[in-house]
Amino acid sequence: MKLTFGDEVEAFRREFLAWLADNRPTAEEMAREPAVSSAHVPGWASRWIRRLFDAGWLVPGWPPERGGRNAGPVETLVYQEELTKAGIPRTTNPQGLGIVAPSILDYGTEGQIRDYAMPILRGERTACLGMSEPGAGSDLAALSTRAVLDGDRFVINGQKVWTSGANYADFCFLFCRTDPSAPKHKGISVVLVDMSTPGITVRPLAEIVNPEHPDLNEVFFSDVMVPKANLVGQMNNGWAMANGSLAHERGMVWLSSVLQLENEIDTVLAEAPAALARLTAPERAVVADGLVESAIDVAAARCLGYRAFAKLVRGGSAPEQALMKAFCSESQRRLSLRAAEMGTDRKVDIGQGPTRDGTWIERYFVTFAATISAGTSEIQRNIIAERILGLPR
Amino acid sequence: MWRGWSEVDETVSFSRNGVVEGELRMDLEFSEEESELRDNVRAVLASICPPAVVRAVYEGKGNAASVWATMVDLSWPALAISEEHGGLGMGFVEVAIVAEELGRAVVPSPFLATVTQFAPAVRELGGDGPLGADLLGRVAAGESTGAVALAEGGRWEPSAVGATAGETADGWVLNGAKVAVLDGADADEVMVIARAAGTSGTEGLGAFVVPRSGLAATSRTVVDPTLPLADLVLDGLLVPPDRVLAAPGTAGVADALDRAGHEATVALATATVGACRAIFEQTVEYAKVREQYGRPIGSFQALKHRMADMYLAVERATSLCYFASLTIAEEDPRRAEAASMAKAAAGECQRLVVQDGLQLHGGIGMTWEQDLHFLLKRALSGDALYGDAVHHRARLARMLGLAPLVEEARA
Repeated sequence: MKLTFGDEVEAFRREFLAWLADNRPTAEEMAREPAVSSAHVPGWASRWIRRLFDAGWLVPGWPPERGGRNAGPVETLVYQEELTKAGIPRTTNPQGLGIVAPSILDYGTEGQIRDYAMPILRGERTACLGMSEPGAGSDLAALSTRAVLDGDRFVINGQKVWTSGANYADFCFLFCRTDPSAPKHKGISVVLVDMSTPGITVRPLAEIVNPEHPDLNEVFFSDVMVPKANLVGQMNNGWAMANGSLAHERGMVWLSSVLQLENEIDTVLAEAPAALARLTAPERAVVADGLVESAIDVAAARCLGYRAFAKLVRGGSAPEQALMKAFCSESQRRLSLRAAEMGTDRKVDIGQGPTRDGTWIERYFVTFAATISAGTSEIQRNIIAERILGLPR
Repeated sequence: MWRGWSEVDETVSFSRNGVVEGELRMDLEFSEEESELRDNVRAVLASICPPAVVRAVYEGKGNAASVWATMVDLSWPALAISEEHGGLGMGFVEVAIVAEELGRAVVPSPFLATVTQFAPAVRELGGDGPLGADLLGRVAAGESTGAVALAEGGRWEPSAVGATAGETADGWVLNGAKVAVLDGADADEVMVIARAAGTSGTEGLGAFVVPRSGLAATSRTVVDPTLPLADLVLDGLLVPPDRVLAAPGTAGVADALDRAGHEATVALATATVGACRAIFEQTVEYAKVREQYGRPIGSFQALKHRMADMYLAVERATSLCYFASLTIAEEDPRRAEAASMAKAAAGECQRLVVQDGLQLHGGIGMTWEQDLHFLLKRALSGDALYGDAVHHRARLARMLGLAPLVEEARA
């Protein structure tokens, strides 16, 4: 164990920082044209993604022709630390870059890579991810949106829900049922669907915070015709891709969460003395203890994440990693509620919507997105118990 | 920007201010050598200290002298003592690795008091002087065991010391009382912390090393006899000049005690988490084999989720313990904060794991015959020593700038 990485890693960090200083989007251009959806790429973001791609800084672990520089995992971690500290999103279409593009690169045809994946990497197209349905949330494999092969095209009928960015995305990476007679995990395929195709209706779902800027959507498919060539990977092999998608998704999400927690605890602790002074003495002691607990959560999240990361870098397995999703998201929830209880008028970045500022109570509600989406905290505990601890189903 | 878990991926959308250089650049996984040490220590302890040895101590039918003799043969007391004092010159990480295994196997031995409390205090307070060098040499050689008499009235911070030391022609006269001294009735040498009369806070503190035979020690009734505690009465105890490690008023005594305290605190935290991990593992194994309603109880979701939470509590505390060990080993300025976080997390871990570990074992966990209670009691006792979770959270409140408010509230 040691507290530092090696010199070559620090050299890599300096190289990225130097490039970043010359190439980052300015705060002014980011503020002038904020992203209004998780599939909205404003002009400045498109140009920024293109600069990252051309310089090999978009996904450092990938080869140069895909916007990378064949960097190792520790370098990738350093890159993310620095990008985060600089306050710059790598893209404003995170699902496109983080999940859809890598899945197409892994499973897609040359044509799909050319027409769908690469344009995402160059900031030219955006994508949404069509997974959850009214009857298939945690139990994703129960999805029932049908794609029926009819000659050289699919005919799609059904409904998706919670589809982030569907109201702005250029295309959808759509999970649908292609064999209703097979066991539920074995009859699912993935089809690329241009969102302008006739028969698609998108109905934005206003959320409990920032209802004027909906990002989640219901998406209805009514006899939507899609070329057979848009099938990604093998027919009825979609479930492997669902797992693959989540693997891409979970790759380094823990790091964003940890850095975000650290940012938030710093904000809260800076505000605390003034806020606590407004409470009665017994209230102060109770609230201060809660803040201490959150500070311990944040430090522990960092230590646990880095420990698991170190194991993975060494080629070992890191079962602790399975804890990070529920731990980080629940720590965020506790922290924001404690901050709200502390009683501060200061506005914070609530993490939802083009306007960044809100109250801690709003932030508290937004944090539920993280304990509910991508496998609820309860599903996470099932996974930990069954796959990590080996408890019987 | 949107940043629900699913939306964020590797992209981030906020700025972080005030990052400490180097803060995010750590390797918290064991090196090959560290893993090897852990495996060796675990194997040795499984062989020399099986549950039967612990049970014998519990039932007053034997002692664990042979356990310590083996540790001495293997030079474990010398691990972190410098080579100039006859030690192996390793660091605190190695000490923590041993401590974790001691907790895991509920090992009765002078190791915690001698190696993680007494030796660091001697080193920090007077390792350069003749008394300090002699004591460290004897600890390294396994010739002497030691204890530290610091706490009074349930408080472990040096500033709370009230015992006094007055200088006379023959030496120093100590007055006052000490509580909950680990190995205080058994160690060969006991370090007593006292202060010059009329001083307070971090001023006027001194350290004296007294042979056990010269002390009035009363063993406490404890829940865990593998962590024996004693109370000391210093009723005009005379300490000759050659037994003064740091005379009251010597510069830097409070700092040295703090630094030694970090080691003692993190070692206890790590040992406590070691016991907790063993409880957790045994509980999971039990839930896989115990059947009710025709199925293993571990298949019930209500219990699965509790075991997932136990797992998180153990890993949360373990990670903080390793980080704290590193801050000590590498002289990182965050060591005080890291030590208190580790001890607080270990205490919180204990509360959950002891409670649910016992609850999930059902009636069998309540029986004397089942070995589980050794671990439960060890975990609870480890929390209580050198400040429990509440104490360290209060310390953290101070370190995080919430302190004056908390203290005002207490008044």
